[in-house]
Amino acid sequence: MLLIWCAVLILACLELSTRVGTAPICSYGQAGCHTPSLADIFDRVIQQSSRMHGISSDLHSEFEQYFFPSKNLIGKPKCHTHGIVTPADKENAQRLGREQLTEVILRLLGAWGDPLLQLYRSMSQDQNQDFNHYSSNKALEISDMVHELRDGVAKMAEKMKLSGVLGNTVGYISPEGLVPSSSFSFYKHGELNSMDHHDLLYCFRRDSNKIKNYLQILKCTTLPGLDC
Amino acid sequence: TTDDIGLILTVVCHMLSGTSPPGKPVLLSCRSPEKETFTCWWEPGSDGGLPTTYRLYYERERLEGVHECPDYWSAGSNSCFFNKTHTLIWVDYYLTVVASNALGNATSDIFKMDVMEIMKPNVPENVTLLVVETEDSPYLHIRWEHPRNTDTESGWVTIKYELRIKQEKNNKWKEYMSGTQSHFSLYSIAPGGVYTVQVRCKLDHGSWSEWTNSTNVKVPNYVQNERSFWILVATLSAIPFMAAMCILIVKRENVKQCVLPPVPGPKIRGVDFHLLMSGQSEDSTNALIINQNFPLIVGWKDQMEEYLIVTENDIGPPSDASHCQKRKKSLIIPAGFCSDWEIQCKSTHIQNDCAGGTKNETGNFPKNNKSLSGESLSYMEPSKLQKQQCLGQNFVNTEATDPSPLNYDNAVKPFTNSGYVDIRKHVENTQEVNVKQVDYSRVEDVNGDNVFILNNKNLAFNSSGYMDFQRQEEKLSEDYSRVKEVGSNNVVVLQIQDMSADTKNPHATGAHKMGVCTELINSEYIDTIPAPPLM
Repeated sequence: MLLIWCAVLILACLELSTRVGTAPICSYGQAGCHTPSLADIFDRVIQQSSRMHGISSDLHSEFEQYFFPSKNLIGKPKCHTHGIVTPADKENAQRLGREQLTEVILRLLGAWGDPLLQLYRSMSQDQNQDFNHYSSNKALEISDMVHELRDGVAKMAEKMKLSGVLGNTVGYISPEGLVPSSSFSFYKHGELNSMDHHDLLYCFRRDSNKIKNYLQILKCTTLPGLDC
Repeated sequence: TTDDIGLILTVVCHMLSGTSPPGKPVLLSCRSPEKETFTCWWEPGSDGGLPTTYRLYYERERLEGVHECPDYWSAGSNSCFFNKTHTLIWVDYYLTVVASNALGNATSDIFKMDVMEIMKPNVPENVTLLVVETEDSPYLHIRWEHPRNTDTESGWVTIKYELRIKQEKNNKWKEYMSGTQSHFSLYSIAPGGVYTVQVRCKLDHGSWSEWTNSTNVKVPNYVQNERSFWILVATLSAIPFMAAMCILIVKRENVKQCVLPPVPGPKIRGVDFHLLMSGQSEDSTNALIINQNFPLIVGWKDQMEEYLIVTENDIGPPSDASHCQKRKKSLIIPAGFCSDWEIQCKSTHIQNDCAGGTKNETGNFPKNNKSLSGESLSYMEPSKLQKQQCLGQNFVNTEATDPSPLNYDNAVKPFTNSGYVDIRKHVENTQEVNVKQVDYSRVEDVNGDNVFILNNKNLAFNSSGYMDFQRQEEKLSEDYSRVKEVGSNNVVVLQIQDMSADTKNPHATGAHKMGVCTELINSEYIDTIPAPPLM
């Protein structure tokens, strides 16, 4: 009996002493919080964008496989973000500078929040059963990711401004200011049909690749290191 | 008109000479090795027998007009190379190739592409292998460099590597991902082995490059000091272990006595155990002596198993001991149970290997003085066991041929075995029917599982495999039960005196008593009930 009590006491002591505390990560810099470093934020953001691009790529190829088996030469899809000037090669991207690059990234991310949500709604309500449940879930996932990524990049920009690597020219950009409403309303004319789905997926695949690439360039110009 | 006539004439002329306008060329693929330039290849169609020129035209998103390929030569024949100034990412190119000769043109289908989708890097370079020797164990360190012309520092491309390693003997590659690192360590390599390594890479989400050429390395043999020490230790410790095992085996009887004490034997109903033990009372001994007048007693039907030894000669006590201590059942064999038969039997459930026992044929049973473990009443006066044969796979007969006399001299040993009747007779004469005119039945054969095929009145039974058994003439007595008939499977029907007892027992084995109704119990023994002696 005594032995049992002893064992219980010892176990309790051990448990209390070896309790592992978790350090909360807070993004607002509250006291007692462990704030991630800029490198960490970069890594997370790049990972997230990579994943987002992967999912959108999958969705697009699924779509192409089932709806447009032959290489689609029918239309040249016009993306609603074509108004955002994005560098299309390495020199231009490097020439752009960190501030502008960050701004481009934020604009792209801002421009896709609503259309993706609309895409998800349209896919999940699809009357023709064109999309299965799995595909529409993916659409929801990338829609969420776009929002998260936008917040993440904004925080990253803040941090960069604090550490002085980024000039103050990058301000908060409201979604409406990013994309001209005329092209955005392109998708607002009621329900989306298959062509709209396809165009959206096609355009987003491309834009998510741009976002990922720009983030990588940003990282390597800001924090040159092993991964570059 | 003259123009038309001229044209027709030209065409006819050319047709006659076997020439024609060119066939349609096909755009095969395009590839960008570093996301800054790209190349496209086409396959020409037939040239129609005339010199044909190929031109590549492209249109591009955000670019007005149709343009021609800027460089037809840098990448070889039938190719078009777009350098950095002409390459844009994330825009669609629409390419066509036009083949033209004197007779006409042919245009390929439109090939749409985006540089983002056609990325395939060059192979990694300078793969080097190094065997690193550490105290514990060596490992293989593999390094390589990024592919040529690929910019890895600006973050414009992300290169991921993959390598595969093969040992010389196997033909199977083992693949490893290396991420963005350009080195890799392989642990637990075999000394003396030869390893072959190949590396490849990919850009972003593009295609994998080709594998590099194989690079080999041989791992030197290492002196395994430590291992030999452990081998020595193991060998040395094995010796006392072996010795212990030997001792155990040699002295296994004693060990058995220790570890597995003998199971008490059966009790006989109506017999006072102590009387038996004392061995003095005439009554008790008389009651137990097997003689020809002895009324057979009912066998104990529970876990006791009767072990009957049937031998040919009646010689003294059985030399072998059926003192098997792993008894499943032991059945009391009543005294009157001497049988001259040699029956070979098979037991269906012969699980233990106690076998052996001989039956006294002279009918002259010893006064039982001692029974083994005090409770056994198997009263066979054992004869010398000559040989035991048991057909059937189930039968394990290890003990029987290895008599180890127990502490008795003329006592009956308790036999254990599930209904094993040891038959000593030759099994070979399986085809002969014993034609002695005797009024006993011989067991012709034990067929399959526990079937006694008795030759009743010398009738030939058409069962497979008769077994001839012998018995001594003079031992014929009415102690035997006559087999009335033999059933098909494991059925022995005994004729008892004037009554016939049909007994059906699929697992009947064991000997049967003479003049006794036999009742086949369970699966292994034949119980007998007393019957008036047949004298």
